[in-house]
Amino acid sequence: MAPYLLLFVVAAAIPIGYAFWISLQKAPTLVNPQTGFGGFESFVTVVTDYRFFGTFVNIFTVMIIWLPIMILGIVAMALLIHASPGRFGGAMRFVYYIPGALAGIANFVLWVYLLNPSQSPIAFLWQDLGLTTLKEVVTTENLPLILTAMLFFQGLGTWIVIVNGGLNGISDEIFEAAALDGANAWQLAWRIKLPLIRPWIGYAALMNLAYGFQLFLEPYLMRQISAGSIDSEWAPTQLGYAFAFTNRNFPAAAAMSIILLVITLAIGIIIVFRSGLFGEREEKAR
Amino acid sequence: MKTTRFLSASAGVAAIAAAALVLSGCAAGDTAETSAQTDSGGKITVWVDPPRVPAAEAFQEAYPDIEIDVVQIDGTVGGKTVKQSFANFDSAGSGWPDAIFFPSNDDIAWATNSSSNYAADLTDLLPDVIEGYDPAVLSFCEIDGQIRCLRNDAAPDVFWYNKKFFDDNGYTLPTTWEEYADLAVTIAEEHPGKISGFLGDAYAINRYLQGANCPTNDRVSESEAHIDLSDPNCERATELLTEMYDGGALSTQGIFDGDAAEAGVNLVMSPGAVWWGNYLFRDTWQIPAGEMSAVAPLAWDGESSPSTGNEGGGLWGVSSHITGKQLENALTFATFVATDPRWQVDLSTGLPGYGPVQDAWLAKIEADAYFADIPTVQQAFKDAASAVQPYAYMLYDTGSVWTEKVSPTLISGGTMPDAIAAFGEELVNQAESVGYTVQ
Repeated sequence: MAPYLLLFVVAAAIPIGYAFWISLQKAPTLVNPQTGFGGFESFVTVVTDYRFFGTFVNIFTVMIIWLPIMILGIVAMALLIHASPGRFGGAMRFVYYIPGALAGIANFVLWVYLLNPSQSPIAFLWQDLGLTTLKEVVTTENLPLILTAMLFFQGLGTWIVIVNGGLNGISDEIFEAAALDGANAWQLAWRIKLPLIRPWIGYAALMNLAYGFQLFLEPYLMRQISAGSIDSEWAPTQLGYAFAFTNRNFPAAAAMSIILLVITLAIGIIIVFRSGLFGEREEKAR
Repeated sequence: MKTTRFLSASAGVAAIAAAALVLSGCAAGDTAETSAQTDSGGKITVWVDPPRVPAAEAFQEAYPDIEIDVVQIDGTVGGKTVKQSFANFDSAGSGWPDAIFFPSNDDIAWATNSSSNYAADLTDLLPDVIEGYDPAVLSFCEIDGQIRCLRNDAAPDVFWYNKKFFDDNGYTLPTTWEEYADLAVTIAEEHPGKISGFLGDAYAINRYLQGANCPTNDRVSESEAHIDLSDPNCERATELLTEMYDGGALSTQGIFDGDAAEAGVNLVMSPGAVWWGNYLFRDTWQIPAGEMSAVAPLAWDGESSPSTGNEGGGLWGVSSHITGKQLENALTFATFVATDPRWQVDLSTGLPGYGPVQDAWLAKIEADAYFADIPTVQQAFKDAASAVQPYAYMLYDTGSVWTEKVSPTLISGGTMPDAIAAFGEELVNQAESVGYTVQ
């Protein structure tokens, strides 16, 4: 417990406390150099910024499309692989893992090619939709779908491996007992495996949610490849970045990160308790 | 005072990479006042974007005795990484480079702002160099009566056209903006696929709205901006763009788009910076020699003198935080990269901003024999600077606002007036968010 506590204090508690303290300062902005204690002024600055709600709408749009597809995909593929014993299952597990194992930036370059109507192997798809330039494909309207596809293919393999680990942890005796009771493969998956891996699914949902809320690099780079068509403050993290370095308002940037923390923590707590991630179900699974 | 400074210094880092801050916080106990100038005894550090690396290398060769550290930085126009570094340097009170090539011209706004005050006032430090510039070329560096930077290259818009296409089809060159729009629509009808302009890059605002003298970037004072897209000058630009866009004569792509070359070879005419010639037509789009030519900028109907925009034309800055031998060497560096023919004539792709070396550079066009009608091109390049309309760089990035609003609005089915309105609205929002009072 002690090493964990130390890490938590250094990497979480102190920075969070510090960010909160900063957020209570008054910023010396570019046009108003006064500083001092500002109370909750920077939170007001953040919440009343004309982009604030838009960035959350953007990120929630991605989450609503991506998270269910992601979780369904992970569970379905993990169950399929677990139900395919021997070499075939092992080989497929490896194949699915490849995109996630590639370095992020190589993966990203791959997407740049896929999305470009003049180079893509799926160019026929873009042409059929009447899209002839990269700017017409990478639009603010299409961004949630593009991000969903990017995040899905990039993350799926890793999570299949993790959830598969959960499935492997289930005792064979349980499967034998189920088989004796006459359960077929479908019933086995639906009634036995799925309930037992619920904590793993909860863990996958939690970690993906946390990742989704911190999206920064993907929209940032999408903006670059579309030569500036995507808003530079598309995600909440990007807005925080702009507060810090365009507006030079560090307290507002700190306030933005506190707001993100509170939201992510709230949703995280709900998931933890609903899935029994740290509860007795984990014991039962063993 | 000390405490607050130290706190705000680390705050940004806190927001992004929390753990590192604690350490930086401990280290940054003492913060220097921005007015305290330091002297390294001679060694200088310069920051340059990738295309300006040869300039720094030419300097090293010319001044082997000056110890210099050349750092290559992110050269993305509108990028934020350099801003980010400087926000941290300004908070920490140390770390600045001694001279820099600003990746975006907009950077001069924060670099001269009272909260940063990075760029030194060169008015009394380099009077002879400043003397060599046409005041019109150096106008972007003149902030509240002080010269705060040196222009690398002059980048006024001239009027580019494909002479071969015009000769083959018997079209007459337009001399006014209105004639340009009418002819663009005619050509688009008679030669489908041929275009007369690009809308999707960050410089399109300069090409069309600055060219019309529309008050998008009118800096009243350090904290006040005048933005008025309903000004008659803006309306004439909007009407012009509407006519051309509806007539199928404009592309929503930008000149820097990776896939723009296909559209680029179909460009028959457009206002565009002098550097378009070598950089875009010759090197990027590889249009055959002897086709492209340039004439003087266009005038608006009823006006006697031409009116044009300016696309970039980079800025060199020197740190205000140094003194003594270090400052002397930094000034030697700035003087070299701004004025020396070993960089400006032999290596630089753009028309030198510094007057005395312009002719030598223009003579190279002749030897290169790429353009059609070279004497006219040379004259157009020389004369265009005086037709550039006023435009001030602001604390936010106007070009980014343009690329985010104009082409995306058009691509999603909006009209040109919708696009310009969305641009104007976002511009006001950005200005107010940064802290300007908008008039």
